[in-house]
Amino acid sequence: MKLYCLSGHPTLPCNVLKFKSTTIMLDCGLDTTSVLNFLPLPLVHSPRLSKLPGWISKDGTINLEKELKDCAGRVFVDSQPEFCLPERELLDLSTIDVILISNYHCMMALPYITEHTGFTGTVYATEPTLQIGRLLMEEVVNFMERVPKAQSATCWKNKEIQRMLPGPLKDAVDVWTWKRCYSMQEVNSALSKVQLVGYSQKVELFGAVQVSPLSSGYSLGSSNWIIQSHHEKVSYVSGSSLLTTHPQPMDQSSLKNSDVLILTGLTQMPTANPDGMLGEFCSNLAMTIRAGGNVLVPCYSSGVIYDLLECLYQFIESASLGTTPFYFISPVANSSLEFSQIFAEWLCHNKQTKVYLPEPPFPHAELIQTNKLKHYPSIHGDFSSEFRQPCVVFTGHPSLRFGDVVHFMELWGKSSLNTIIFTEPDFSYLDALAPYQPLAMKCVYCPIDTRLNFHQVSKLLKEVQPLHVVCPEQYTQPPLTQSHRSDLMLELQPPPMPYRRCSVLNLPFRRRYERVYILPELANSLVPSEIKPGVSVATVSAVVHSKDNKHTLQHGITEVKVEETADGHILHLQAEDTLIQLEEDGTHIVCDNNEPLRTTLRDLVLRFLQKL
Amino acid sequence: MDRECVSLLPRVCEVLAASGSSLPDDTSLEKLLDWFTGLTKAGTSLLESCPCLLEFISTVVHNTALDPSILSFTLRLTGFVAVTEVAFKVLQESSVLDLVFNLQHWQEAGLWEDPCIRIGWIQGLRTMMQHPKALSFFVQADFLQPLLQLQTDKSLFVASAANQMLAHVLLSCQSVSSVGSNDVDEEGEDVGRSGGSIADLEYSAVTVETNQDYAAVVTAISECLKKSLVPRENTQLHQSLQILKLLALLLAQTRPPLWEKLLQMVADSVDELLVAGYSQLILPLMDVILAAYSSCDVNRRAPDQRVSRLLSFMLNIRKPADLIQAAAAFLRRGLHDLVHTAQSARVLLLPLDIITGLNLLTTTADEQRFLMMEQLKNKTSCISLICVCLTNTPQMTLMAADCLPCPPVLIVTAVLSLLKLCSGDSSSPSSSSSGCREVSRNVIGSSKVQKCALDALTALSGSPGVEVKLAEVFTLLVQCLDNPDSDPTVLQKSFQALVQWMSVCSDLSSITDQHRQDLLQVVRKRSCDIRWEVRDSTVEFLGRLAGVRVIQTTAEEASDASVAVLGGCCFTTPLLRAALQDTESYVRASAISALAQTLAASWQQGAALTQEQTEIVNQLLEVLSWDTEGFARRAVVRYFIAWLSSMSSHSCVQSPASSSLLMPSVRSVLSRGSADLDWEVKVHTLELAELLLDEAFSGQRGYTKGNPTQTHPYAVIPNTLHTRTHNEEDVVGVLNSLVQWGVVSALLSGLVDCDRPVALRACRLLITLREVVCPLSLGALDATAAMATVARVTCELPGCGWAREIRKMLVMKAKDANAEGGVSGGEVVNCDDCGEAGQEAASVGGQTPCVSVCEVLRSLDLDERLDVLTRSSDHVHNSPLSLLQDILTASSARSQPDTQQEVIADCY
Repeated sequence: MKLYCLSGHPTLPCNVLKFKSTTIMLDCGLDTTSVLNFLPLPLVHSPRLSKLPGWISKDGTINLEKELKDCAGRVFVDSQPEFCLPERELLDLSTIDVILISNYHCMMALPYITEHTGFTGTVYATEPTLQIGRLLMEEVVNFMERVPKAQSATCWKNKEIQRMLPGPLKDAVDVWTWKRCYSMQEVNSALSKVQLVGYSQKVELFGAVQVSPLSSGYSLGSSNWIIQSHHEKVSYVSGSSLLTTHPQPMDQSSLKNSDVLILTGLTQMPTANPDGMLGEFCSNLAMTIRAGGNVLVPCYSSGVIYDLLECLYQFIESASLGTTPFYFISPVANSSLEFSQIFAEWLCHNKQTKVYLPEPPFPHAELIQTNKLKHYPSIHGDFSSEFRQPCVVFTGHPSLRFGDVVHFMELWGKSSLNTIIFTEPDFSYLDALAPYQPLAMKCVYCPIDTRLNFHQVSKLLKEVQPLHVVCPEQYTQPPLTQSHRSDLMLELQPPPMPYRRCSVLNLPFRRRYERVYILPELANSLVPSEIKPGVSVATVSAVVHSKDNKHTLQHGITEVKVEETADGHILHLQAEDTLIQLEEDGTHIVCDNNEPLRTTLRDLVLRFLQKL
Repeated sequence: MDRECVSLLPRVCEVLAASGSSLPDDTSLEKLLDWFTGLTKAGTSLLESCPCLLEFISTVVHNTALDPSILSFTLRLTGFVAVTEVAFKVLQESSVLDLVFNLQHWQEAGLWEDPCIRIGWIQGLRTMMQHPKALSFFVQADFLQPLLQLQTDKSLFVASAANQMLAHVLLSCQSVSSVGSNDVDEEGEDVGRSGGSIADLEYSAVTVETNQDYAAVVTAISECLKKSLVPRENTQLHQSLQILKLLALLLAQTRPPLWEKLLQMVADSVDELLVAGYSQLILPLMDVILAAYSSCDVNRRAPDQRVSRLLSFMLNIRKPADLIQAAAAFLRRGLHDLVHTAQSARVLLLPLDIITGLNLLTTTADEQRFLMMEQLKNKTSCISLICVCLTNTPQMTLMAADCLPCPPVLIVTAVLSLLKLCSGDSSSPSSSSSGCREVSRNVIGSSKVQKCALDALTALSGSPGVEVKLAEVFTLLVQCLDNPDSDPTVLQKSFQALVQWMSVCSDLSSITDQHRQDLLQVVRKRSCDIRWEVRDSTVEFLGRLAGVRVIQTTAEEASDASVAVLGGCCFTTPLLRAALQDTESYVRASAISALAQTLAASWQQGAALTQEQTEIVNQLLEVLSWDTEGFARRAVVRYFIAWLSSMSSHSCVQSPASSSLLMPSVRSVLSRGSADLDWEVKVHTLELAELLLDEAFSGQRGYTKGNPTQTHPYAVIPNTLHTRTHNEEDVVGVLNSLVQWGVVSALLSGLVDCDRPVALRACRLLITLREVVCPLSLGALDATAAMATVARVTCELPGCGWAREIRKMLVMKAKDANAEGGVSGGEVVNCDDCGEAGQEAASVGGQTPCVSVCEVLRSLDLDERLDVLTRSSDHVHNSPLSLLQDILTASSARSQPDTQQEVIADCY
């Protein structure tokens, strides 16, 4: 059993598990942090960005004026932003049988894997994962396509040139593998390969293994996966949460008794407690509005935003924010808000019961109804005429490199009354803000990451007791910036097996048993003899029949008479009334009216003869 | 004793002796005993006052078929009856006493198994044993053995009572023996007295034989202590625990030579127990040792060497958790023992030393350090040990310098360092060792340790020489306040600590602008917090800060801390005004109080009125009228009380402008507040009215501030007080203003309020007013003549609510007066002749009737009313008479089942 690790990002994993005769890809995360090296894509013409000086090396030998721009003391690539794809050289992606998706954030690289690689397998995901994943992909494609950039910068990627560039471009890895965003056509094609599954539904893969998704409590439809054969069990834990937010709670008990547990997607903010961050978010928001400023919240169009809106729903009155407009701007804002209300079966118990009242499970419906929350596909159109300040704007993309957020950064960045509140943990807020410096607006970082923290995961592992744990190497040591925090790492016995991008791990267990069925007729003919009380044995001579990875013992040829002749031997299969004549210059199979048997015997004999 | 009660008691006794099960409720017997206790304490001889009790006791004691609760009651009652020697003798002569306390009697009846009989037996004996005869009775009847057995009774109450009784017996024997042997220890008298009243009694009758008997009792008890102290197996720990409790009681109260004797008897067993090291017994053991030790300390004797040795042993015990407990117990006693105090301090600082890596202790035994570190590696015990240490740090810093292993400043540094560890911000300086790392990670994120540390930090503000730490403390507390993970209690404690440090270290010159900016930012953020508790603490902080006087730099004058660190009203007032809109009523209430504290300075300085202040007043009056919660409305009234009192106490700087806003507002507050539904708002409103009275009549003769009933009715009052030497015109003017401000209406409406505290306060104030303007002592005729002018001052009595009540009272009074051929009753209310209908018509017709204030005050029977109101509302229900009547009623109800049915039906 082997594990191929195609991504180095612990929360955007992409691993391939070879188990029995199957090749299973676990998640298909896309590392988008690479976009931070690119200049923002403004929605309307930005004189500031268009007048940036090009970059020339100090000695003047390298001139990349067209590709690289100097902005606020840092160098950025002036091109369509590119993403860092999962490793594609480590194994032949066309051999992948299935892809299991654990949540909608971990499927963003799907079109890069399923298209143009020869992939012919199936992708398994829950319905909310598929639908919201589609929205997120559609949103990114839309963000990119509506501000097209003809130019594609490639010179800077030349190894010799890259070495000469200032940081952090100089230190960017695998830049040649970075790719521009996929098209909507590719998205549709990739998603057409998805087969929907429900929690605890068992899916047979070629009869060899069974895969089954379990609720992971992180987001709508998010799942952990159990991959098991008759005698082995592998659990794949990715992006799980034990907090009471909107999704169905995590199913922990089904993870028990695993031989191997692959652990990914722990919180990226182990020191930031989500409740505290939520409080921080609300108080900073209220503080800014009271002072007459605007609040910008760069966020994804699905996920934590539902919880933020729910929290604000309760907070608005107590903070006297009843008259402040809240705007949600995204090409998929409407769909996201509406989708969240229809996936009742994937929600936590409280929200499920609301549906039977009937009431919308999320209170943002009421916010929309009372006109406190308004949503628009973009800043163009209705928004521009209805826009009132001071206000709160939720919009993407959290990297601040593309999407409507770029416009608000340009618009509000110069006033210290305004505040930008980062709630998504995927990007370093300092890096995200780098091309907007100097910035007068206040910046508040309250990343809300509800995924398991180290304390919770230690408790979970004590509970489910896997024999071996495999995890990204980042989890086996304290964070670089807090080397004294030995509580922020996994300490297990035996120690977890760490992996990094491009690792190939031999998972530490050997398959010893295989299940074989005996046909009833054959079983009837067995004569067991008791060797000690309760234990009987019997000898079996039979034929193993294997099909679709299922093995069955059935009656075979039992009586064979061998005669010697002058030129060789004759084998007489009495029950089948068949003769096999083996002579030096020829072999004959005499078998009346049983063509299949004759062919089988012929093939067998041929194989033997070849071996001889 | 009440005659009526005495007459009812025989019937009650009959009822109880006949069948106890018909009692109105379970507590009746206890209430009866409470009544008897009160009587006994007041010196009443029960037997003399209630001879029926003797018959009751002798009847009941023979009737073992009675309910055990009645029997237990009888046992205890016997103790009360026999508390005097005379009554004891009567009981003994009538052979009742022997039978009541005869164990065999109860055992044969199969009742001894019932714990209530056992406890009744012990308590009866205990109550009775106040004189030597009772003690002799106890000794001669050989009750000691059964009492010793009861000490380990399965019922905890019985066991505890037996313990108390044993201590009482031993102390009684001690007193008797010392009297008998003329060996009274002068210094020990106080101790003996604290052991029981027996020391005050006379013991002239003690003979040599009885003395020997007592010695035997003492020996028997000591032997038992010695024998049972060390448990033979783990299951007997309970017994040891009981013995230790008894021993602690005894060693604290006995005097030499008994003290010596006891100690000698048990010293070896205590040693043995110490070596055995039962963790559950550590605290009780420490109590015993400390009781012995304190006894020496209190009596100014040199500490006994055995006790000192035991104490040293305890403070060197191996188990870290036990060691910390012992050291903390020692420090709590605050004994004058430098050596052991220093040792305890070292023990208690050791965990802090380990976890913070600061060198609080210069030397520690390696083994002790190692054991402590191992213990601290366990998260649960680490947190509890650290909390014990933190709780004791403030006391440690106040100790003599030679007892402390390090200066108090270093302890503050350690607490700060621990708080940093809790928030995960820093690693311990000694984190090079993996052991320390393991320990320090146990406190990361522990809000329990944080709370304890913040409490300690608050208390440490008063330690000598710690002012230099102010800036560091300030920085850390602001970080705590800024930390998104801090829970509401941690934030509240941080705010409290900040205020405390600033009030103690009044010199804020070490606080930089950056500190101020950080605090401003964090206060602004917390005032918008999602949790109301946090918003409340923030608002409270702003108020409290305004009350702290500080000096910013040596050259500057003192100002309040709010001005010094937050920039004063320009920052705080807008925040507090925003908090007035808060959805949570507690926050609104706190905001109002904080506004009062913040504006207090400007009121006192008589600063000119600002537009903002006018707006605030309007907002507050709106709160008083519209707020649905009482807290906020109460706070509004208190705001005006604060304002008015600050104006009156600084009358020299009264600004006319602020008065022009204050007085009309006060009038609104009085009218709205007295019509409020919340009784506390009404009481506060009356307080405001009292302030106005104080101000109006201050300096007037005859005006006594506060409670008029406090003067004794027969006290000699100087004539001058009643002589009206002041100008009558002044009084008229003042009274007129009081009527105009609505003070009189507020008082009258309060008087007829259905809430007793409101009515009581109003009544007292009205009496005060009456004594100034028209004292009853003048007599009606004199008054009419003398106050011809004052009597012209009238107030309106509208036709609704409280006024209607007042009118009714006046009409009743007038009728009574007429009936008695009174003087001026008919003139009190000039509309009363037309009767009820006429009053209505007068009101409807728009002519609100007016009455003379003086006449109203003189006609309302305020003194009688005060008398009624002063009694508690359940005084009738809780009287002994009511209890006795209840018992009789319940019994008759039981004898007539039909009636009982009715009662039950009534209840529903």
